[in-house]
Amino acid sequence: MLEFKEVSKIFGEIEALRDVSFEVEPGELVFITGASGAGKTTLLRLLIREFMPTSGEIILDEVVVNKLRRKEIPKLRQNIGSVFQDYKLLSERTVFENAETALAIKGVQKSEWEERVNEVLKLVGLEERANLFPSQLSGGELQRAALARALVVNPKLIFADEPTGNLDLETGEEIMKLLAKIKDEGKTVLVATHNKEFLEKYGARILKLEKGKLVDDSKPKKKEKKE
Amino acid sequence: MIQHIKKSFSYMRRSPFQALAAISVLAMAFFVTTLLIVVMYSSEQILRYFETRPQVIAFIKDEAGDTEIEALKSKLENDSRVKSVAFVTKEEALGIYEKSTADNPLLKELVSPSIFPASIEFSVVDLNFVQDVIGEVAKEEIVQSVDFTANIGGSGELGNAIERLKKITFYVRVAGLVVVSAMLLTSFLVLAVVIGMRMIVRRPEVENLSLIGATGWFIRAPIVFEAINYAVIGVFTGWLMASVMIMYATPYVLTYFGEIQVFPKESAMFFAFLGIILGMELVVGIIISLLGSVVAVSRSLRMVK
Repeated sequence: MLEFKEVSKIFGEIEALRDVSFEVEPGELVFITGASGAGKTTLLRLLIREFMPTSGEIILDEVVVNKLRRKEIPKLRQNIGSVFQDYKLLSERTVFENAETALAIKGVQKSEWEERVNEVLKLVGLEERANLFPSQLSGGELQRAALARALVVNPKLIFADEPTGNLDLETGEEIMKLLAKIKDEGKTVLVATHNKEFLEKYGARILKLEKGKLVDDSKPKKKEKKE
Repeated sequence: MIQHIKKSFSYMRRSPFQALAAISVLAMAFFVTTLLIVVMYSSEQILRYFETRPQVIAFIKDEAGDTEIEALKSKLENDSRVKSVAFVTKEEALGIYEKSTADNPLLKELVSPSIFPASIEFSVVDLNFVQDVIGEVAKEEIVQSVDFTANIGGSGELGNAIERLKKITFYVRVAGLVVVSAMLLTSFLVLAVVIGMRMIVRRPEVENLSLIGATGWFIRAPIVFEAINYAVIGVFTGWLMASVMIMYATPYVLTYFGEIQVFPKESAMFFAFLGIILGMELVVGIIISLLGSVVAVSRSLRMVK
């Protein structure tokens, strides 16, 4: 489904990613881990073509992302459920409207909006906050709202960048459970995180980045981690 | 589409002073434009009135017979350069004289039909032909003399009056075009600035929309519609103010100019005339707003990946 082939990204003299290669199968839950500045966020930004790789290829559903023309980029982004570290919610729109906007962008019929938004808000547990603006939400709620916006368009691939980074342990745990639940529904989920506790708990595949280099690609046994 | 239009109105509500500034400038520009269009139309009508009224009088010799007069009249009627040919008998000429001297019976008593020559009065379709036509008619045997109509003071005066009118009409057109162009340029710049400011305020929103896959049109549409709203409201306000002023002044203007039809006479035609101006101004206003918004939005979007 997703393949990074020897992808490098250099910013001036800084090598953010160096020859990173990996493949992700449909329905996989993958943790991308590493210290701050290891290149986790750069991966996301390359995937949604916010940046162009300096070298290498990124292939998503047989489409070479780095060869897309400028006008094809919106379509790519519409098909990836991106959850950003800083949420990137539209501050002048309510939680409900934020999710609706994603549907409008995707070109979903308006008659379907209400049902789909309600459904996804129920999934992330934000039904009662639907009419609040982002400034009226807590960190955990903002993360859920961002997740709801990503999910509402029913993408095959979700990329969550540090979804628990700004949250307390308990709220972070809820978000991670939610992502695991989404994975169980057949979606491919990529989670960039440096929280080791979650890595051990979910027994998912882990891609470890160090100074822009992929140093480990392993899959701990789930049973062992759960015990 | 509807969601973008709704969004454009919500942007306007959020920044009422910016909206008011844009609408005021556009309203003022189109108020002046409407007045100038009407003035240009009226000056054109005045010029046309003087150009098309009887301009040349060929005085007929007393000994000319009816057949010869009729022949000359027919000849003129068949000349493509000539229009509105009319034969005035000695009696009719006396009648015109009596009418014009009605307030002075002494002058009336002193004359008889015999001293007034019969005449053929006509106009030319274009004043450029007048000299040639006069020359040709003067050579006719039955013609005693040829002159411009004396109604507005004699041959020289008519020529001068029309030349003056042509000059005035030309200057009105040039001044009108300069003023209207300046006003439209100002409107364009104000719209571009207002939309540019809106884009700066919306920058984080534009970036976020872009990251979740919004197309350029999805991002631009509410802003473009906002500019169109400004244009439509501004044009209509300016046109309405000018129209009210014109309608108020119409009775006085029509009385002042008498038989010169400076505005369409019938109400339906008059309102159709104003309607056509509104239609043209809406088209121009929308083009300006589209250009202004597209320029401002494109500049801002170039900065967003």
